[in-house]
Amino acid sequence: MLVANKISREDILTELFNIGVGQAASTLSDIIDKQIGLTIPEVKILDAAKAKVELNKYLLQVAEGAVMVSSISFDSQLEGKVSLLFPADKMHHFIDLCLHETHVETENTLEFNDIDFDTIKEIGNIVINSIIGELSNTVNIPVEYTLPEVDVLNNASADHFVDSEEYRLVLMMFLAFDIEETEIAGAIVINMTLKSLDDILNTIDRLYNGS
Amino acid sequence: MTKVLIVDDSKFSQKITYSFLNQYLEDAEFEFASDGEEGLNKFTENRPDYMIVDLLMPKLRGQDLIEKAKQVDREANVIVLSADVQNRVREVVEKMGVLSFINKPLDDKKAKKICDIIGNGARGQ
Repeated sequence: MLVANKISREDILTELFNIGVGQAASTLSDIIDKQIGLTIPEVKILDAAKAKVELNKYLLQVAEGAVMVSSISFDSQLEGKVSLLFPADKMHHFIDLCLHETHVETENTLEFNDIDFDTIKEIGNIVINSIIGELSNTVNIPVEYTLPEVDVLNNASADHFVDSEEYRLVLMMFLAFDIEETEIAGAIVINMTLKSLDDILNTIDRLYNGS
Repeated sequence: MTKVLIVDDSKFSQKITYSFLNQYLEDAEFEFASDGEEGLNKFTENRPDYMIVDLLMPKLRGQDLIEKAKQVDREANVIVLSADVQNRVREVVEKMGVLSFINKPLDDKKAKKICDIIGNGARGQ
């Protein structure tokens, strides 16, 4: 087979993540019992320095520095950490949708209670499991998760999410969920060891390009 | 009265699971635990008829809770409700003798499946 006929590994990886994100959107739609519009994200594989530049743009332009972040680390044969970032000021509306409740007075504040954190932690858990779990199934490489964490960060910078010491490569996706005419622009940041990404890409090559 | 123990570290998931199951189960009594260790203690003390178990939990993972519960009672009726979609995890857990492995989020169809399992078991008791 000519090299030119091979599908690029990044294209296949993008497709695999898109399937996971699509399933995550479907899962969220089930939880809130409403249709969710989703822009198909482009997956970027970047070194830490470039990833920080990209992420800082998002934080400044979309989230204005205040984000709610839900993250889970994973290890076993694949090692890394996934963080889901959402603009904090949109999250009350989203949490209300998840809980099927309405609290107009709390909209757009950055105050969150234990139920809010618990809800986002569990939603993050389900979404991250959709994305990483489907990838793990496709490449047949198992992962073990740590307990999910959730936090609200004011004036967040990319340094919070991109670990240039322990990890070398960062997979990033920017995506927008549209729920009841409210657009929630999120980011998914996956810090991964070089070895883990190599293992995934090599398996993809074997599965899809026959090499 | 069928006793159902829901073990999940998320109050959000506890609430959803309870709401769905309570719709379809007649004459059921619910109890809750927020981590695997508390789940094992409540299972050992109260011997529920069914235990709904999450996998990723603090103190004691769901897999370890199931193993220990089965040591207490080999016939323990366990239904797993987890966000983990990995095929390998499902295979390993299903070999532990659980009644069913269901992925979160719970919806009407999945809830009915759980209630059918519980309902059939309860009618056979």
